[in-house]
Order: sequence, then structure tokens, then C-alpha cells
Amino acid sequence: MIVAERKTIPELVEILNGHKKILVLGCGTCVTVCLAGGEREVSIISSALRIASNIRKLDFEIEELTIERQCDNVFIEQATEAIERNDVVLSLGCGAGVQAIAERFLEKPVYAGLNTEFIGVLEERGIWTEKCAACGACVLHQYGGICPITRCAKHMLNGPCGGSREDRCEVRPDRPCAWQLIYQRLKGIGQLDRLKKIAPPKNWETSLDGGCRVIIREDHRI
Amino acid sequence: MTHESQLAKKIDAGDFIVTAEFLPRASTDISEIEAIAASFKDKVTAVNVADNPHGPVLSSLAGSLALLKAGVEPVYQMVTRDRNRIAIQSDLLGAAALGIRNVLCLSGHHQTLTKSSQSANVYDIDSVQLIAAVKQMRDKGVLLDGTKIKGDFPVLIGAVAGPDMKPMELNIMRLAKKVEAGAGFIQTQAVFDIETFENWLEQARSRELTKKTAILPGVMPLESAEKAEALREKYMDLFIPDSIISRLKEAGDAAAQQKEGLAICIEIIKKIKAMEGVKGIHILSGGRENMVPEIIAKSEL
Repeated sequence: MIVAERKTIPELVEILNGHKKILVLGCGTCVTVCLAGGEREVSIISSALRIASNIRKLDFEIEELTIERQCDNVFIEQATEAIERNDVVLSLGCGAGVQAIAERFLEKPVYAGLNTEFIGVLEERGIWTEKCAACGACVLHQYGGICPITRCAKHMLNGPCGGSREDRCEVRPDRPCAWQLIYQRLKGIGQLDRLKKIAPPKNWETSLDGGCRVIIREDHRI
Repeated sequence: MTHESQLAKKIDAGDFIVTAEFLPRASTDISEIEAIAASFKDKVTAVNVADNPHGPVLSSLAGSLALLKAGVEPVYQMVTRDRNRIAIQSDLLGAAALGIRNVLCLSGHHQTLTKSSQSANVYDIDSVQLIAAVKQMRDKGVLLDGTKIKGDFPVLIGAVAGPDMKPMELNIMRLAKKVEAGAGFIQTQAVFDIETFENWLEQARSRELTKKTAILPGVMPLESAEKAEALREKYMDLFIPDSIISRLKEAGDAAAQQKEGLAICIEIIKKIKAMEGVKGIHILSGGRENMVPEIIAKSEL
């Protein structure tokens, strides 16, 4: 899923200062699961903004709404009336959700209430970790299902760097070295030979480096 | 005018090699480099020029050319952190055209460990891929995109290894890959733990890697217990055992600790220089280039 974190209330107050009628718009998909922008967070953030408004006399009028998916036209339509009767939208969707709303309401300021962080998983209660860099040409089959592009800070494709110490990463000593995990995993599944072959330079054209990506499925356009 | 790498010639001849590390400064004063070159001249086979290890300084390409001009053979260090394959190959062509004959291929300290921690990184290719790219440019005369290079590209390729990196199986696999990719010499991270180094060297010997590449173990004079502790805390590739830190502490005041650091360095050189498979010594000055001539003299290199 897409993992995001809330911006702080002082940051949000700064962004919204000068506006009156504000729609705080949550999203019921990824950001609900990662506890950043679902119905519950819409309620918490709205309450905090009302308190800030009272203290600083900002005159905010806040409406709350959460739709199933902000990145999907069908669900965005359900928010149309609420968006139109407010001055601005504070979207608690991911970066895709914020932009999807903004592109459909050209006259309306739409602000991001979250910092979208990564594609990842819930590791354990309250801990999310990044797993995928969405490079567009998956290599997981070569590395025992552990991504060296995402999880190695140097995207090393041919083994660890010198800063790998007994399963820790030099860049984030609180995190494991991806290459130690790859080694253990490949050894465990009897595929260590995969590491002996020199992996050639990666083609980054399929990634964001090749420009903002689009997928066109002709079979779905008929 | 093409000249040969003296480092390559000495490796081929089986001569004992001494290389030393020069860390360029954030400086435009060329006389500093000339002074370092003068102090190294005729004492070492070649001098490594570090590629922005701790943040931006004078470029390793410019530093290498300045050494060359001053009559000292450079080992041009190149990290894959800051340049994509376009910039890397472009700089390599320029280096070869202007007379640089040795290139050391590294991934480089991650930028978050430098003073420019907010910088973006590149890491388009990794160190093994860089070694293979330089080999292709030299042996096939073509760039990664297939473009034919006009003229020779007579470059000796070097790489780095860390004898202390565990597990040993993964460590040696990585070393073997670098040698297979084309590394003609290997400079190691600073050796402080002789037993671990011996074990690593034995593993390299048993796979005949010491016959395929010239192993130049690194040594580093430590300045003080405090600085040594800070170094090993920050850089995981540097293994300094507690026993070495204790020796420095017990030596006494700052001057005594510096002297002890030098003595430890000389002791290590004497212990490792005659080991089977060791072709020379690489002195990691860590920016204290003034220590190098004394280390060479006192360790009878």
C-alpha cells in the first residue's frame, strides 16, 4: 500500500490561513489502513484545526467527509457537492489523490494534508517499512524476493557495499542491510549462485527517470 | 603521447608496491597539491586521489591531473554516488586523454554520511558495473551505449575490499565478482585486526584471487583514541578493535597518542607486508598526508 504521514497541525494552519470554508477530505483506501488520512484522522485533524482556529481567531468553518478512493473518478463524484460549497479542500489522500481532486476542480484550491512517503507494508503495530520503488522493471525474482533497488541505500545490484556490518546498514544503522537479507534468503532457497553472475547496469527508462509514466491498456479502452 | 601506468608495470614485474591516499581540500590553492606531490615523489608508486569522500572538495579528476603535472602518478578515484553513466564515461575519456592511467572504482560513502547530507544521490550504476564499464572501454574500445572510442584507453582498473566485512562467504563472493569484472588491483579498507585479515587473505588465496589481482592492504595511522572511536562509530566499513583504542588511550596525552597511532600503523605494516598474496601496502592518510613519508621510512618499505 501507499504509506503516508500527517503534516503537523501548525503546518496545516499555515497552509490554510486566510481561508474560511474548508473541506477536510479523507480517503478510505491506503491512507486509512496506514492510519494517516481515513475517517478517524479526518475527525482528529478537523478538531485540532477548530481548536487552533478558536485560539488564533482564524474563523475556520470546517466540514468533514471521507470517500472510498480519492484517486478514482467514480468516488470523487460523491464529493462534488461538498467540494463546491467550500472555499478550499484539505485532502488527506496520498499525492495521487490530491492531484486527482485538483485536476477535476480547476477553480478550487486543493491542499495536501499528508506527506506521501512510500509503497510499503505494516511491519508490526505502528511500524511501516518501504518495500518497492516502483521502478517499472521488477528484479525481485533475481534477489530472493528482496528488492536491492528500494532497500539498499545505494541501489547496489551486485552485492553489498563496504558499509554493511553484521546485518546492519551504514546509512540507517537501525535498519537491516538489504544485501545481508538477500544473501541469507538466496542461501536458504538454494539460489546463491544467482549472486555470482554480474548484473549489468539497470535500464532506468522504465522508472521515474524516464519521465512521468502512463499505462495505456488498449484492451480496456474498447 | 601515451605513457604506461607505472603501477601496472610494477604489478606485472612483481615489485613491492606502495600507494598512499591524498584527500583534496575545498581549496583552489594548487600549491598545496604541489607540496603534497613533492613530499610523495619517489617514495610511492602512485597516489590515490579521493572523490569527495566527506562532501565537496576539489575534484578527483583535477587533483589527479595536478599530481600528474607535478610528476606523481595518480590513482583517480571515482565513486558512483554523484555521477550517472553519462558523466562517468565522459570524465573517464577526459582522464585517459590527459594521461591518467589508473582508476579506482567505488560506490562511495552514502551522501547522508557526508557534510552534504541533504543532497540527492545518483547510483545509476554500482561499483562492479563501473569496473566492468571501464574494462569494456579499455578492452573493447566501446562505451556502454556501443559508441566506439577513438584512440586508446590504456587504464589499469582498481577496486576496494573490506577484509572485516561479514559473513566471509558474501565478502569473498563480492571480491571475486570485482576481480572477474576487471579489477587489476584491490586496495583494502584499513587493516587493524591481523587475524581477520589473514583469514580473509587465505580465503582469497584459496580461490586464486591473489593470482588474478594485486592485493594492496590498507593501513591507517590513528590520531587519537577519541578520533578513532568517532571514525568507527560513523563508518561501518572501518573496523578498529577495542584493543587498539585501549592502546591509544593508555599512551597518554595527545602527542603520545599520535605517536602510538603511528607505532601501531608501522607494526601492522611489518606484520602484513610479507604475507603470501600481499603485493604492496596502501597508506590511507585520512587527510594527514604529512604522516606518509615517516610511515614509509619507519616501516622500511
